[in-house]
Amino acid sequence: MSLLDEVTRLETEALREIKGADSLEALNELQIKYLGRKGLVTAVLKTLGTLPVDERKTVGAQANRAHQDLENHFQLAAQKFSTTRGKKDFDPTLPGTGPRTGTIHIVNRVMGEICHTFYGIGFETARGPHVETDHYNFEMLNFPPDHPARDMQDTFFVEGGRLLRTHTTPVQPRELEKRKPPVKIITPGKTFRNEEISTRAHVSFHQVDGFLVDEGVTMADLKGALVAFCKAFFGSGLKLKFRPSFFPFTEPSAEVDISCFLCNGVGCQLCKYSGWLEILGCGMIHPKVLENCGYDSEKYTGYAFGMGVERVAMLKYKINDIRLLFNNNLRFLRQFA
Amino acid sequence: MKVSYKWLLELTGLDWPVEKVAERLTLSGTACEEIIPLSKYLDKVVVGEVIDLQKIEGADKIKKATVVTGREKYDLVCGAPNVAVGQKVPVALLGARLAGDITIKKVKIRGVESIGMICSERELGLSDDHSGIMVLDGKAVPGTSVIDELDLDDYIMNFELTPNRPDSMSVTGIARDLQALAGVKIRKPVFELKEADRKTAAYIKVDIEDAVGCPRYAARIIDGITIAGSPWWLKKKLIAAGIRPICNVVDITNLVMLETGNPLHAFDLKLFGSDRVLVRKARDKEKFVTLDGEEHELSPDVLLITNGNTGVAAAGVMGGLNSEVKTDTHTILLEAAYFNPRIIRKSRKYLGLVTESSTRFEKGVDPNNIPYAIDRAAYYFKEIGGGEVLNGIVDCYPQPIFPVKISFRPDRCNSILGTALSSDRMKEILSGLDFEITGSNPLNVTVPTFRPDIEQEIDLIEEIARIEGYAAIPDTEVNIGPLYTPVHFVDRFEDEVRSVLTGSGFDEILGHGLADSRQAKILNPDLSRLRIINPVSEDLDIMRNSLILTALTVVNHNLSHRLIDMRLFEIGRAYFPPDKDGNWLEEDRISLTVSGNTSGSWREKPRPQDFYDLKRAIENLALHFHWPEITFQEIKTNFFDESISYKLSSGPTDIGLIGKIAEPVAKKFDIKQEVYIAELKINPLITISREAVIFEPLPVYPAAPRDLALVVDVNVKVGDIIKLIQKTAGPTAESVNVFDLYSGEQIRKGKKSIGIAITYRSPEKSLTGDEVDNLQGNIMAELKKLFNAEIREK
Ligand SMILES: [Zn+2]
Repeated sequence: MSLLDEVTRLETEALREIKGADSLEALNELQIKYLGRKGLVTAVLKTLGTLPVDERKTVGAQANRAHQDLENHFQLAAQKFSTTRGKKDFDPTLPGTGPRTGTIHIVNRVMGEICHTFYGIGFETARGPHVETDHYNFEMLNFPPDHPARDMQDTFFVEGGRLLRTHTTPVQPRELEKRKPPVKIITPGKTFRNEEISTRAHVSFHQVDGFLVDEGVTMADLKGALVAFCKAFFGSGLKLKFRPSFFPFTEPSAEVDISCFLCNGVGCQLCKYSGWLEILGCGMIHPKVLENCGYDSEKYTGYAFGMGVERVAMLKYKINDIRLLFNNNLRFLRQFA
Repeated sequence: MKVSYKWLLELTGLDWPVEKVAERLTLSGTACEEIIPLSKYLDKVVVGEVIDLQKIEGADKIKKATVVTGREKYDLVCGAPNVAVGQKVPVALLGARLAGDITIKKVKIRGVESIGMICSERELGLSDDHSGIMVLDGKAVPGTSVIDELDLDDYIMNFELTPNRPDSMSVTGIARDLQALAGVKIRKPVFELKEADRKTAAYIKVDIEDAVGCPRYAARIIDGITIAGSPWWLKKKLIAAGIRPICNVVDITNLVMLETGNPLHAFDLKLFGSDRVLVRKARDKEKFVTLDGEEHELSPDVLLITNGNTGVAAAGVMGGLNSEVKTDTHTILLEAAYFNPRIIRKSRKYLGLVTESSTRFEKGVDPNNIPYAIDRAAYYFKEIGGGEVLNGIVDCYPQPIFPVKISFRPDRCNSILGTALSSDRMKEILSGLDFEITGSNPLNVTVPTFRPDIEQEIDLIEEIARIEGYAAIPDTEVNIGPLYTPVHFVDRFEDEVRSVLTGSGFDEILGHGLADSRQAKILNPDLSRLRIINPVSEDLDIMRNSLILTALTVVNHNLSHRLIDMRLFEIGRAYFPPDKDGNWLEEDRISLTVSGNTSGSWREKPRPQDFYDLKRAIENLALHFHWPEITFQEIKTNFFDESISYKLSSGPTDIGLIGKIAEPVAKKFDIKQEVYIAELKINPLITISREAVIFEPLPVYPAAPRDLALVVDVNVKVGDIIKLIQKTAGPTAESVNVFDLYSGEQIRKGKKSIGIAITYRSPEKSLTGDEVDNLQGNIMAELKKLFNAEIREK
């Protein structure tokens, strides 16, 4: 039998005996038997010097590894009898060890939750460029040439004749041009407004817009879809209120209020004692927008809606300063673990 | 837009409480944001008569006033310059709570005990006027409540209007919505205008040079007017609309504007300077002083009312100082006009002025209501100002604007709204809004010119919806359109990156996408930058061309808040100017940043985070998405320290960069500790990701673990050693791990020792010791040959 095989045999034998040990004392005896100064494995290591160089290295490496492995096994086996059971000095109140989990940014988390709620009713996602053309950001969406939103005060313009999109709605004509009905899409993403940064306003914010175009889509379908979304997202007990509003790209247009989820409509600081929270804008896609995209507006109708993610997040988590969302202070971020 | 609640009731004959008026209007698109009671500060304020005034010894400005309020008599201290014996005045009694947080208490001033106060309009919350006390009508009865005396049992309703509804900028317009909502009929004021024999046309003529800017201009002359204060009923209507009363002439033009939505302007005819109105574009650099005293250098963007020669008003925005009505004005030239909304918008932007009149003109007033509005004002001038109204309107209307006719299909309306409204109900709604209807299916609808927002059938459908109420539209309970969502890998990819990285202890940050060009230059002077033409501030003047800009800003922010240990990531976009061929590039990227120490615990000491912490996170991503092997190629950049600066590739695909931020760059961001950053590109990562792997059967035969201890030159790369082992042993080397790395005192200079654990396993059989020895032997031979490795002795 070669020395190498002897090592393997010793190791197997030792492991069998470790398994059979029924007390800490027995285990300690075994450890001395194999790994002690006069132990069996130690003995093999001592004979290494007598071997030819080549053999010495292979056997040596193997014996050393076996020595280490057995030591680990003795330690593990010792735990079975040790300290933990019945002993009073174990301290479960010490903090756990290992890395802590990171956190997803609250804006992205809320945006993801909104998207997933819409996935549930058959919407898919589409994206578009953040640096947009006037054509898609305004013209295709039926903004008249002198609409206030086109002002330098409201929109960022960049060199090269484009602008930073002021909403994610330009994805609507971009996708409508590419596809055939039915088109049922949400468009989450970043948008920009030329505003002085304050507690309530920032140069950038996130939006989730959505739209459906098909034959026979009605405003009742729009209401149904948004009622479904709001109940799924904010809670099934809430009430919705649709108020007429104005957007160039929808007609009729509506603003949607939900009953305040904090006070259930009774009135509180969050809802400024009105019982209602303004949560999204929506409407039937303006026939001019459909025609701009090459659709016959007599045959096809559609609805569209949009909401600000920061607003939803700030309402939901009672965040009072939008700048907190972009400062990325770890103390803030980690609150949303 | 502020409107008096009582005025709305007066026009509609409704008896609804203010809350109901507010709610119905809000739910039909005219949002009432605020209801302010006019009597808010008038509790315990009564009419008093000043019967005596006495000087107070040692005081110049204040006097002791004796006031009777019915049976009571009070001595009050009063400092108003206009107080006089015999006046009827508002007296705030003990406990009254006035505007400006004033509560009336018993006080002693200069030895005079005073319980109560004679009030100014400001103290009563009626206007900003604090020049003296408010003087009431001489017929007021002492002791009665000021609320009753002044008819202030009213509310200011503050509406937030949508930009498409110019008609709502008048009481009549808002009342018209109530007319449709409540099914009532507006009681339009009836008046008879008595004109003199003298003809207006004999004194003034109107020429329009710019008919695009001014399609209609009408003028009247009122002679022999007496400028004075307005009667209370008129003042109150203005106060309830948030407009400060000034004098009868100005107040009347404002009143008619509130009533009809048509802004009017009154010139002093004597100061006008000619008998001809000429409407033209202003000349370049033409000087003009508006009545607020500001001198403007005009441009052709401004439409100018002139006397044929010099400017007298910036059309639709503000009158001129030169022709303003003064206390001695005797003859008035009254203007009512229709100006092109786009031109007024340009003009007021050029002038930097926003006025009640510009706001209305720029949304579009009713051009065909001009004769009514100018007559209505003339009527009041005669009634209130005692003037003589000259005969006829000089009305120049070169470009008549006609009502729009729209064909309206009731069934189309129902099919858009998802409703089942009757054609009759739709007719009722449209007539309620003063639209004329003929025919039945389709209805031929004539849209009056006060509704320029109504252009096509869909606009009428919206009218039906908003008056019927959106609550009347059912909520469909079936899902229409596709019933499943195609999963786009790009969306899942980002979600999964988030879960892998948060699981690796990284916190997600979010950038706004804008950046400071000076910082971008520090980071990478050669990388093109997309400049914002109209930045909000100079430190946000470009779009970021690297996520590293955001990462360093965030590291700096946290350091300044004494948060020094961080592991951060961001999924975001970098932006670039168009290339030579005009292609715009935006790139979705992931940044990974570590700085400071690991969190550590009582068991493991914190240690500085470095390159390998980033590498592990990337390895975790690589494991998750089954990316092929990632290789590191040294590169020179401006922002990475040259010792640790690599381009990352997977096969031929460039996937990003990794490195240690160079110290001079970190310093520029005020960062004084090591920062390691990787920036990965999402698109190439998606192309190399594999969604599914094919199952591999679990091993049947035992593994044979062996260790290797080597000493090699320090510049030998461990990766190359591992590769060589894998190449030499083939698939039998199931795993190769580095369990030890050492260089230092115990070892020769220029060398390092490496401990490598290899697990051998065959899928076909149990490996014998000899077979494993053979493999180990081959590996060692290769390592010796290629890397001059020595097997380290223990
Ligand atoms: Zn509430």
